[in-house]
Amino acid sequence: MPQIIDTPVDVELSADGDPRAFIWNRFEHTVIGQPQAVFKRTRWWENEGTPTRIDTELWRLDASRGGEEQHRYDLRRNDDGSWILALDWG
Amino acid sequence: MNTGLNFGHLHVASAYSTHYGVTLPEALAEQAAAQGASFLAVTDRDGLYGAVKHVRACVAAGIRPGLGAELAVHDDEYRPLGRVVVLAHGSTEGRGYAALCRAVSAAHGGGGQRGALTSGSTGPSISRARLADLSQLTSLTVLLGPDSDVGLAIGRRDNTDAAVRLAHWQRALPTQSVVLEVVCHLAESGTVGSVTPATRMLALAENAGLPAVLSNAVRYGTPEEAVTADLADTARFLRPLAELETPQTNGQAWLKPAGAMHQVARMVVDAGLHDDGALERLLRDTEQLADRCSLDPVSDIGLGRARMPEARIIGVTGDPVTELWRRARSGIADLYSASGSRAVEAAHAQLAHEMKTVEHLGFASYFLTVSRVADIIRGMGIRIQARGSGVGSVLNYALRTSSVEPIENGLLWERFLSPERQTLPDIDIDVESARRHDIYREVFRAFGSDRVSLMSMTNAYRGRGAVRDAGLALGLPDAQINVIAKQMWRFNARDFRRALEEKPELEALATEVRESQQLDLLVDLTAKLDRLPRHISVHPCGVILSDASLLDRTPVQASGMGLPMSQYDKHDMDPMGLIKLDILGVRMQSAMAHAVEEHHRLTGESIDLDRVPLDDEKTFELIRSTRTLGIFQIESPGQMELVGKLQPEVFNDLTVEISLFRPGPMKNNMPLKYLQARHGEVAPDYIHPRFEPILRETNGVVIFHEQVMRLFDELTGCGLGKADVFRRHLGKPEQLPQIEKYLREKALARGFSVKVIDQVWTVLAGFGSFGFAKAHGAAFALPTYQSAWLKTHHPAAFLAGLLTHDPGMWPKDLIVAEARVLGVPVLPLDVQSSALDYRVEDLADGSQGIRLALPELVGSTETERERIARHQPFGSLQDFRDRVHPRRRTFEALARVGALDTFIDYDRSRRHELLAHIQSLRGTAVIIRADQLAFEVELPVPRYSGLRESGGRTGAITSLELRGRTQTDLELLDLNLAVSTHQMKRFHALFKELGVTPASELGNLPGGTEVLLAGVRRATNTPPMRGGRRVVFISLDDGTGPVANVVFFHDAQERVGGQVFQTNYMLVRGRTRRSGARGVSVTGENIWDLFDVARQVKERHARERAAAEEAASAAAYAAELAAQERALKSASPGGILHNLRAAQSA
Repeated sequence: MPQIIDTPVDVELSADGDPRAFIWNRFEHTVIGQPQAVFKRTRWWENEGTPTRIDTELWRLDASRGGEEQHRYDLRRNDDGSWILALDWG
Repeated sequence: MNTGLNFGHLHVASAYSTHYGVTLPEALAEQAAAQGASFLAVTDRDGLYGAVKHVRACVAAGIRPGLGAELAVHDDEYRPLGRVVVLAHGSTEGRGYAALCRAVSAAHGGGGQRGALTSGSTGPSISRARLADLSQLTSLTVLLGPDSDVGLAIGRRDNTDAAVRLAHWQRALPTQSVVLEVVCHLAESGTVGSVTPATRMLALAENAGLPAVLSNAVRYGTPEEAVTADLADTARFLRPLAELETPQTNGQAWLKPAGAMHQVARMVVDAGLHDDGALERLLRDTEQLADRCSLDPVSDIGLGRARMPEARIIGVTGDPVTELWRRARSGIADLYSASGSRAVEAAHAQLAHEMKTVEHLGFASYFLTVSRVADIIRGMGIRIQARGSGVGSVLNYALRTSSVEPIENGLLWERFLSPERQTLPDIDIDVESARRHDIYREVFRAFGSDRVSLMSMTNAYRGRGAVRDAGLALGLPDAQINVIAKQMWRFNARDFRRALEEKPELEALATEVRESQQLDLLVDLTAKLDRLPRHISVHPCGVILSDASLLDRTPVQASGMGLPMSQYDKHDMDPMGLIKLDILGVRMQSAMAHAVEEHHRLTGESIDLDRVPLDDEKTFELIRSTRTLGIFQIESPGQMELVGKLQPEVFNDLTVEISLFRPGPMKNNMPLKYLQARHGEVAPDYIHPRFEPILRETNGVVIFHEQVMRLFDELTGCGLGKADVFRRHLGKPEQLPQIEKYLREKALARGFSVKVIDQVWTVLAGFGSFGFAKAHGAAFALPTYQSAWLKTHHPAAFLAGLLTHDPGMWPKDLIVAEARVLGVPVLPLDVQSSALDYRVEDLADGSQGIRLALPELVGSTETERERIARHQPFGSLQDFRDRVHPRRRTFEALARVGALDTFIDYDRSRRHELLAHIQSLRGTAVIIRADQLAFEVELPVPRYSGLRESGGRTGAITSLELRGRTQTDLELLDLNLAVSTHQMKRFHALFKELGVTPASELGNLPGGTEVLLAGVRRATNTPPMRGGRRVVFISLDDGTGPVANVVFFHDAQERVGGQVFQTNYMLVRGRTRRSGARGVSVTGENIWDLFDVARQVKERHARERAAAEEAASAAAYAAELAAQERALKSASPGGILHNLRAAQSA
């Protein structure tokens, strides 16, 4: 079962735009392999105001802290560019 | 944005993929260039709708254009094979582009191929065999992406089927034509656009040894526009957002920069097991295909190269230039010899001047082509009139393309064509509207359908359409959207929010919007849709003429009228070197032709309108009286007012009048300046004696483009061609300093003082690009004069023409009212004499009347009407029924309006009997063949009067159908037109009581008189006004004469709110305003709904009646008491009387 984290994190991007690492609980988690982005649409017309985007941006990636065993994480990027660590899949 | 990476998008829908793409090609190209791309393809759905705009945008942005189309394909058994992208190869001397054009045309059923008949979809589709043919010689690449049958099989996870289907494609198409297209929108796994099918597609390409390319199947430029694409989907599927079955999976179909596309490529490759180097190969193959599909605008697409029909097609055997000279010279000899040798000489000199430019530009074939078309039209006996700047040419006049003499009228050739003018010339031809389609067919026949095509036009979203589709998307109820849509006019939908804040009549809606989240969203969404292309349709007048290569340069599809139509619109013509001729149907030309025909039918005389002398005093008298209803161009309320002030005396005055009544001159207050000078209130100011010859005709006011050109030429000596370039640049503020500098230098050198230069420059700079070509004005003035001449001398025939062809702005019953005022009765519908059009009848008293036409009967069918017209006259009602076999509804309507009165000896009081008889008819009519004689048996309508009195069945029906209705009600119901009396007549008693001033008497009142006016709204105008504040003109018809024009200024609009647009029957309070010698209008202050007023008056009457009755009965009672009192007095004074008094006071 994934663990809901839902906390802001700092994400470091590589030159080609992929997340390379993120800092969570003061520890750097290094991304391993190719992260996958997933864009999920919203039912924007049910919300107030006119949206600038119709989907939310989620990145699924494997990362490890130091030499520890890697976990799979979901990172969400907000419209303002800030990042939320959404899930820890274990 | 430029990351050093490169990526060329190969699959991009522009906004011209209507209801699908949402970004205009210009924006896409600019964005691509800004992102550092060197290539961009546009591949619109089902066509090349945005192709020319894309290519030009790419040239402007400095990137290489690619062109393609997303097309549905079917196999030999018409089974659908999904949708593919067909891309043209470049550097093939146009072979790739031509094959693409042909493929698109084939998909639309052209080129002897039917579209997909059984594919289940009704849209365009091309057969794979035809596509294979066109792909020969490596002209095309076919991209099989997620929407192709191969991609769909992969989407179903059926890899075997995908491989089989791919093998079919490989067998059918030439090698190297098939490429697989990998699309990944980074959607959730398990949905369309996720990474899984993309990586499988890549694997399929590897297994089959085919190249794969990466695309983003782009639908919009930026992620923000994904919302608009959602709206486009709702409009395409006609479903609200919440009910879309296949909404876009997410908002990633945007024109991603190279970095983002490389990112996608990495994810796709990483998601599957692929050969080494798969990523690099995918990107490299994409790059190579982009290279191969880069088109050269000139050598591949033929941009900017004009192609005229071949000489033999236009009936020329030798050199076109020689032939043009010959025809023009002989035309001058014919047309000018009557005006004396000096005129002939001047014409020849002008011709030589014009021919120099024609030869220099190589346009001889163009002039011969246009004159050939004009000959074809004239040969069909159809009225024709050239319009536009081409009227300024002696050459066009000599070739009889135009019928306005240019030299005497002071028109300029250079306004039309000069070596400085880089665009193709444009000649517009006005013809009778009723014959326009006949002309098109004849032109196709004469030139051949491989050289001719109709032009299309792109219809963009405007306020109402935008709010309707936005409302549909949100699932708002139809009724609610309708109410809002009705208010969406007179402003741009983009400015919806601002309009809500500013426009008084939208106040109620603005309040609703503030209170509803959904309506608030509606406002934004409406603004997003505004101006987006919505659909294409056939242009109302554009015909493209070219040589036999036409179909290699433009894709065509069927138009509504069956003839092929180019997918390119008027903006694409000039860049593509396509010669376009505007053959515009003008209803007034049909109306005038009808009048001439009617006159000929009745008298045998032929009127040649083009030879009517242009100085008929009676005609000008009519125009000056401002009774211009029905006259071309000058019948609107504003024009009536201007005509009244201007008081035209000669033909040129009409040209001036028409040219003044334009947005530019109006905004610049030119009419007032001109009128003041014309009527001697101020002396004409020519600024300098050298300008006097130029400005004399307009009393010193610069009105015409031609005058601006002459001024430039006089000031600088630049020549008229260059002067026209300057004139056009006056509209561009950034060009002004440069022009001014040049003008000042040259003018000083040519002896003008600084003061004069200052003065004239102020005029020129203020002129901007406004004003009007005198050539346009003169071309309009001719039919204006001709129609006025007909109205003056042949009113019955002219009004019959107006009623038949309905050319103007006014509704028919106003024309009927005008006929009444002119002493021309409009005769009721009669099955014995009404024809399919309005006919003039000679009446017993020697005057003429107009017989109502059959098509006016609401709900009647064309076949019914044709049968009536064919079998006239009828011997009896039975005969009528047998030959026409009308439907019951039509039959009864005819009886109700009196069209069958012939069968009751025109005794209107028996009409109920007729109706009752018709309703009692049972069984089917005897069918009589057209060539068979009727049974000549008299079958009179039985008299039912006895029955009605005894309460019989038919009596009841009669009362239901006719009782309580006036003839006017019946006519309005069945004809939408009150013929026998004016529909306002029923209010006349009310008007009298209220003290309403009849419209016919307005002219007798001094200015500033407070008046009440009433009537039915006939027109609403918001003409352009100085200062930009909106002014609303309402034309009211009360049945007493011409319409009364009421003007509502801004403050009054605020007071009356929406009523100014919504009330149709109204009472108005206002003040008279004199405008010139004859004109009077009313400044409106308030509006009431006439029906409300009538009801209130009726209620007041009822109250007064009740009060009167009460008073009367009280009086009677008092009298009775008095009598009793007297009686009592005589009997026993005292007790009883006292009791009675007490009772009375109680």
